[in-house]
Amino acid sequence: MDRIRISFRLNGVEREAFVSPEERLLDMLRDDMGMKSVKEGCGTGDCGTCTVLVNGKPVLSCIMPAFQARGKEITTLEGLNEDSAMKVIQDKFREYHAAQCGFCTPAMEIVGYKLIKESDGVPSKEEVKEGISGVLCRCTGYYDIVDALRSAAEVIKK
Amino acid sequence: MEVLMPNTLDEALRALVKNQDAVIVAGGTDLWPRIRDLEVRPERLLDISGLSGELSYIRKEGGKVRIGSMTTIAEIYESRELDGPLEVFKDVAAKFGSPQIRNAATIGGNICASLSSEDYITLLLALDASVVLKSVYGERTLRLEDFIVDKRTVNRKPYEIVTEVQFNDMTDGWRAGFEKIGRRNTLIINLVNVAVALRYNGRVEEARVALNRVNRKVPGRARAAEKALLGKEIRGDSDLEEAVEALRGELSLTSDFRASGEYRVALAEVYFKRIVKRLVGVA
Amino acid sequence: MSVSVEEFIGELQRKAERGELLYIGQSLRRIDDLEKVLGKPIYTNDLLPRETLYARLVLSKQPHAILKGIGVARAISYPTVKAVLTYQDIPGENISSTIIPDRPLFAFEKVRSTGDIVAAVIAENERRAAEATELVDVQYEPLPAVFDPIEAMKPDAPKVHSEGNVIKHMKVRKGDVEKGFQDSDIIVENTFRTQFQDAVPLEAETALAIPRDNGKLLIIGSMQTPHHVQAAVARVLGRPLEDIEVIQAVTGGAFGPKSDEPPYDVSSIAALGAIKTGRPVLMSMTRKESMIAHTKRHPAIIHHKTGVKSNGRLVASEVQIVLDGGAYASLGVLVIVRATFHANGPYDIPNVKNDGYKVYTNNTYTGSFRGFGAPQAIFAAEAQMDEIARKLNMDPLDLRLMNMLRPGSRTSTGQLMDDSCGLPECVDAVVSASNYREKRREYSQQSGKVRRGIGIAMLHHGNALGPEGNDYAYVHLSVEKNGRVHLGTALTEYGTGAVSGLAQIAASVLGIPLDYFVLDRPDTLAHHETGATVASRVTAIGGNAARDAAMKLKERATAVAARLLGVSPSDVRIVDGLAFVSGNPKRTVSWEEVVRAAYESGVELSVIGYYMAPQCVWDQETGLGSPYNQYTFGAAVAEVEVDVETGQYRVLNYYVAFDVGKAINPKNVIGQLYGGSVQGIGYAMMEELVHVNGKVVNPNLKDYYIPTSMDVPERMVPIIVEKPGSMGVYGAKIIAEPPIVLPAPAIRNAIMNAIGDGVNDLPITAEKVYRKAKELGLG
Ligand SMILES: Cc1cc2nc3c(=O)[nH]c(=O)nc-3n(C[C@H](O)[C@H](O)[C@H](O)COP(=O)(O)OP(=O)(O)OC[C@H]3O[C@@H](n4cnc5c(N)ncnc54)[C@H](O)[C@@H]3O)c2cc1C
Ligand code: FES
Ligand code: FES
Repeated sequence: MDRIRISFRLNGVEREAFVSPEERLLDMLRDDMGMKSVKEGCGTGDCGTCTVLVNGKPVLSCIMPAFQARGKEITTLEGLNEDSAMKVIQDKFREYHAAQCGFCTPAMEIVGYKLIKESDGVPSKEEVKEGISGVLCRCTGYYDIVDALRSAAEVIKK
Repeated sequence: MEVLMPNTLDEALRALVKNQDAVIVAGGTDLWPRIRDLEVRPERLLDISGLSGELSYIRKEGGKVRIGSMTTIAEIYESRELDGPLEVFKDVAAKFGSPQIRNAATIGGNICASLSSEDYITLLLALDASVVLKSVYGERTLRLEDFIVDKRTVNRKPYEIVTEVQFNDMTDGWRAGFEKIGRRNTLIINLVNVAVALRYNGRVEEARVALNRVNRKVPGRARAAEKALLGKEIRGDSDLEEAVEALRGELSLTSDFRASGEYRVALAEVYFKRIVKRLVGVA
Repeated sequence: MSVSVEEFIGELQRKAERGELLYIGQSLRRIDDLEKVLGKPIYTNDLLPRETLYARLVLSKQPHAILKGIGVARAISYPTVKAVLTYQDIPGENISSTIIPDRPLFAFEKVRSTGDIVAAVIAENERRAAEATELVDVQYEPLPAVFDPIEAMKPDAPKVHSEGNVIKHMKVRKGDVEKGFQDSDIIVENTFRTQFQDAVPLEAETALAIPRDNGKLLIIGSMQTPHHVQAAVARVLGRPLEDIEVIQAVTGGAFGPKSDEPPYDVSSIAALGAIKTGRPVLMSMTRKESMIAHTKRHPAIIHHKTGVKSNGRLVASEVQIVLDGGAYASLGVLVIVRATFHANGPYDIPNVKNDGYKVYTNNTYTGSFRGFGAPQAIFAAEAQMDEIARKLNMDPLDLRLMNMLRPGSRTSTGQLMDDSCGLPECVDAVVSASNYREKRREYSQQSGKVRRGIGIAMLHHGNALGPEGNDYAYVHLSVEKNGRVHLGTALTEYGTGAVSGLAQIAASVLGIPLDYFVLDRPDTLAHHETGATVASRVTAIGGNAARDAAMKLKERATAVAARLLGVSPSDVRIVDGLAFVSGNPKRTVSWEEVVRAAYESGVELSVIGYYMAPQCVWDQETGLGSPYNQYTFGAAVAEVEVDVETGQYRVLNYYVAFDVGKAINPKNVIGQLYGGSVQGIGYAMMEELVHVNGKVVNPNLKDYYIPTSMDVPERMVPIIVEKPGSMGVYGAKIIAEPPIVLPAPAIRNAIMNAIGDGVNDLPITAEKVYRKAKELGLG
């Protein structure tokens, strides 16, 4: 199988990978780069658990070809664990019991992080619901996640 | 499988003419799940994501609105150019996939996928948009209606790339509305989508109506309904009866497990009426 | 307001003196979620050793056929393929069943559904494995098939197995229904239908098998009950239990199917592959494989005939429930038991006749799923109540108030309700929170295209296993030299926080902070077999075992502390990690010192706690007696807004109250009320796995819709009621399952209030509401 050499930045570090043409960004991140926070809940673009940031924008790594990562800046939760805003979000997820089985949690935190970073003040409930609408959660019914994110935003935006 | 990864449109066109079996990948949101599912097994891919600098734009020039094929749905959603009656583009974006899908999906990919589930096709048909195709041999412009041939079939030569969609800016009374109905509030495949564009100055002077399935398995224009609207002054439902009657006659909304054809027709009628009334400002 | 550390400790000490349990009823943080919020590699698929091979399934293309042959030659020679497994590769028994051994792991002689696994391909590369599945050449000779359970019950229907298609017939007989109907003023009859629901845990079924140098196998997987998986794999491999160690990895949602047969399948296939290739094998179902091949919620056809006095008193209830079992029995033979016991709803009715049938068809199989038969039964029972109320021109709430269970009344099996029956309190709570009566009045005079409605539903839910098996639990506690307490149990955690709750109970008893605790991964080598982690029983039942263990441990620790403090053990109190002398809070010794002293003096700080619930006694023939030791009660009110032109509707507000006996960790309870309700809203409004001629047409999340964040009610109001039960720890009742039950009937009844008629088959899609509205001339 022909392999394609690509380089990109992953969580702030220059990286290189040899990817096969049909490899998904998800596979490259999990299998080659060890970024296990990226989850596969469906593989068809419908659940959002595989969300990562590409050039700062949330996209679905399960339906993005790995070779399209060339030259891009990719961020996974592993790269945000030291970020002060992310730490607040994670703490609030614990306080609000917003991580039940935890499978959607990394993606929820990433889309929540983006939303909070980009909003002017504390986003409204409706805005948070919309911001996280691309990630399914089967455990929480979303309420605790919405409350955790809004509470995190209150701290971060102070 | 081999992947060609050009960085400019020129390079891409030259690569394509030499590799006419290559399947184009833009955002990949339509194509990649199908590759994964072994539904398509291309020998060669032409990745045009490197062209987003060149082909991602929204411009208004000389009475025309031009949208580069690599413009993402998120860029459309956030665009400042698309204001006034053009805000309808955002109504489509608001109900398009999820935020993550919108960041990757392109408008070019949407029309090239050529399915009844592609929402921008419906809107662009109502705007009588045209598609610009480029190749090493030059450029041609085709009306979208002629470009969309059938389900998964478009009027594109294997060495052409769609670079732009364009349509006349909505001035002198033109306005457009769009509705999409699914079985939940977001992340939905449409049961029905409806787009209506009207030039209305006290009366309907021109009308274009498009729906996800008219006669064929792809979105199309509802010409009888358009005709029935012409000249009408719209004050309420009763002024729309004729158009609704006409619309009913030209819909071919089939039944499947998601909904019956009968229900889809009912939805199409209700939302058609609602859009028209909204566009002309009656309750 | 700031409190000094001394004051704080002082307050805790005073509480300890009074014998109060410090952490019971507190919304403490869970101790198992740190790794989750950090995105650490903790799930099965994150833990692959180097050299792991991947397995993909070949599923039957026919719903019912004789298997003429399986050609594997082309698949085996495909690049990177290491093995193709079929029934011929099974050294032990070709059985992958829970209760009735009717399901082979790999299809043998015939296939009975499109969810049957015919073969598995194992390759270096997942994609190559998937491609090679298409090269496995399976020859079928189609047989006549049956897809409708009512058809399947007829004597001349095609037989799915060699015997008849009725797998189980469950009965309840109380009083004399025929006489009851004669004594009634009106008789109301209706038929209700429910659909296939898929649990959709976001992590699909998965297992990793790792061969060990000594010939034994380690299995790491996503599951609810490791010991059952161990036994299932041992049976398939024909090996003794001790050859197979099963560890439950952190599990990304379960909801029932992971207590049923699917984890047996993935674990056994991974195990067979690992033995055949000598390498680790991951069998991780794709979403599509999972949605076709795992168990779903049974569709049901439920017929109600109710005799009522004109004043609203229920006199007789006759219910027939037919569950579409799909091709195999699974835990479904117990699902029908629970469905039949709960079929009449939470009402005191003197004459009852219930018949429940679980029936084989050639659809994909159905089994355990949150609620376990109650969602179907209560949907029908509670829809029937609103139908009766309409006939009597009564408010549905008044009809319920007249008949519902309260202390002193009796269930359909004649079980007497004692003071722990909190149904009236639950009803009061949702009725007043929602302003039900006023809204009902307001909504009775609507016209126009957009109409609102409000509806109520309620339930009782027999606790824990009851008739489903022996309700026992083991919990291990062992203290490390540094004072950390390991809590180990084969009861598993898959999202609810229940196992963290066990530590909370132990912490309370011991008087040490929760963050001293470490939860060990459930492991068949390390932990006792402890029954299944099902029926929401971890807190109520497991909690008693945790308490037992903690009390044993405390006795030993107290003795050591007493020695150190020079007092008698009865004078020692322990609080917040500090042992002190009763009445003399300044004389203390720390938990760490106590533990060190115990280690140095040979006192073993390792104990096993055990609990076994009292046996439930009921008559097998009539169902009469007390099939459950205690009951959870709940009520919900839904408020909807319906667009009568299109049938589209929204749930504006949802109020839900549950009597949980005692909320050990209220935040965890609320998490279940939210999450269960939303899963129930999916069941009510949109979820349906569609079979056409036995084939699943929407085995993906593109066409099988579960609620997104945009689909949940604008406002959900969860309310906790506490009427302690006799069995659960500190009076706790089970709560993880029942919240899923109420949305469907509450929403149905709210729509009925809005438009004047209700939809009697789930899911209540906009199209069905549109048809009703049209029939009524509203559209
Ligand atoms: C979860 C999910 C939700 C979705 N929701 C919606 C929705 O709400 N509404 C909707 O309309 N669609 C939706 N889609 C479908 C898809 O996102 C759209 O069709 C999208 O616009 C495709 O754009 P793309 O850039 O990703 O196309 P790609 O997948 O890259 O390409 C699609 C097709 O077009 C061809 N192509 C692409 N660009 C060009 C070009 N410039 N010239 C020639 N050929 C080209 C490709 O060869 C391919 O055949 C959804 C998809 C997913 C996975
Ligand atoms: S795994 Fe990518 S969207 Fe579900
Ligand atoms: S916490 Fe389980 S899916 Fe969200």
